[in-house]
Amino acid sequence: MNIGEILKNLWNGSGFHLFGGDNGWQSIVMIIVALFFLYLGIKKKFEPLLLVGIAFGMLLTNLPGSDMYHSEWWTTTDIDYLEILRHGGLLDILYIGVKTGVYPCLIFMGVGAMTDFGPMLSRPSSLILGAAAQGGIYLVLILAAATGMFTGGEAASISIIAGADGPTAIFLTKTLAPQLLAPIAVAAYSYMALIPLLQPPFMKLLTTKKERMAVMTSTRPVSKKEKIIFPILVTILVSLLLPSVAPLLGSLMFGNLLKECGVTERLSDTAQNALMNIVTLFLGISVGATAVGSVFLTTKTLLIIVLGLAGFVLATICGLLIGKLLYVISKGKINPLIGSAGVSAVPMAARVSNTVGLQYNKGNYLLMHAMGPNVAGVIGSAVAAGFLLAVFA
Amino acid sequence: MSANILAAILDKEARLGAVDSLLLALIGIVIVFIVLIALMLVVTLQGKIFDGSAKLKQKHPEWAEKAAAIKSKFSIRKKEELAEEAAPEELASGTCGELVLVGTSERDAAMIMAIVADNTNTPLNQLRFKSIKRVEDENL
Repeated sequence: MNIGEILKNLWNGSGFHLFGGDNGWQSIVMIIVALFFLYLGIKKKFEPLLLVGIAFGMLLTNLPGSDMYHSEWWTTTDIDYLEILRHGGLLDILYIGVKTGVYPCLIFMGVGAMTDFGPMLSRPSSLILGAAAQGGIYLVLILAAATGMFTGGEAASISIIAGADGPTAIFLTKTLAPQLLAPIAVAAYSYMALIPLLQPPFMKLLTTKKERMAVMTSTRPVSKKEKIIFPILVTILVSLLLPSVAPLLGSLMFGNLLKECGVTERLSDTAQNALMNIVTLFLGISVGATAVGSVFLTTKTLLIIVLGLAGFVLATICGLLIGKLLYVISKGKINPLIGSAGVSAVPMAARVSNTVGLQYNKGNYLLMHAMGPNVAGVIGSAVAAGFLLAVFA
Repeated sequence: MSANILAAILDKEARLGAVDSLLLALIGIVIVFIVLIALMLVVTLQGKIFDGSAKLKQKHPEWAEKAAAIKSKFSIRKKEELAEEAAPEELASGTCGELVLVGTSERDAAMIMAIVADNTNTPLNQLRFKSIKRVEDENL
């Protein structure tokens, strides 16, 4: 037995030795990025439920020699799932749920079970604000195309960041630009966490003090029957118009029906809690796994970060401008601040509208009024994604 | 729309030109608005139907009674339910009659009764509620 030989083999097989390989420096940079994201998630509490998982997935995938994820297996047009199941690493197996679009749909089911569409049903004009904020998606599409660096599928995937809806962004990107999944998911979730910082300056810039102080009166009460009929109606109507969005919107509405029908409390509870938590775990870690250094550290990633930021700002501006229009049309009965809640980050964007409203008129609680455009934004971004899928996929 | 533009728009692997992206953005936002405005109309119509039906019920309470009678006549119920109806349970000790709830949930009614008891400093077992009815405010 040659102890020297054994120790040499041990060293050659270790990750420390592999850092000296071709992509070693990229792995080191990505590990530092992962540690920074862990700091943001744990210390700064930026979307910790997802960011901690994404950051840890990023850390695992960039440890040389661990073979937990093989990016090359997922970029081919004809994926061999049997081979992946036989020889894949832990993160390869978990990633199947992302690649097949199962995780985003299950997350949407949980979101649906937690969402109350009541405020939107009692004020149907909220849907206009939800549609307006999707203008950000299409403006980013134009910007991404203008850079000349992205294909149609990539530009469409980047544009959906402006929808401020993580599952929708993942659902679209895994089909149109799977190679960009990590930067797009990271950008989408990071900016969602930053909504309380990103939106207020533009809300104050684009509205007058008088507009911000506008008091909104309560709307008609919504009956239980209406709440039960709504998810069924939306599923039929929207899925017939845009079949490509049926998995996402169908899951969202199924979750909501479980909540509203009143006879499936146990299922609704599972969708909201246990299932949501399990899928969030798998989704976070497997999305993080796609951030392999050689793929992630490119100028494209930097551009995606910039375009994503522009998307959030443009979506906020679009919502606010239509909010101002509704303020004029309704003769001051609609506070334009709720327009910014049309970006679908639920419920952060609605909370921001409420907070800014309270700063100018104490006692003017806009939260319930802002929840209308907020949940309409979820439907709006799903429709926008459905359209882009129908065009490119 | 030329075949060239259409091909570029539909190919996810091709670079997206400025004109194509403008066109796509325009069509996209129009579609989002069409779908959500269609939903808005459906939701508005649904609301009007439900509000109208509630108003009719208020205007003509006899219709609601007739409908309930017809419903009970034709509804399929288990033998146990029919037997229970034929011999209603005796009221628990300490209760005084039944409370009729009109447009009010049991949870709201419980809260209202608790608030009345608290404000009047009267124990709940010394109060008698005959009915609690939700009154629609015209200004709402």
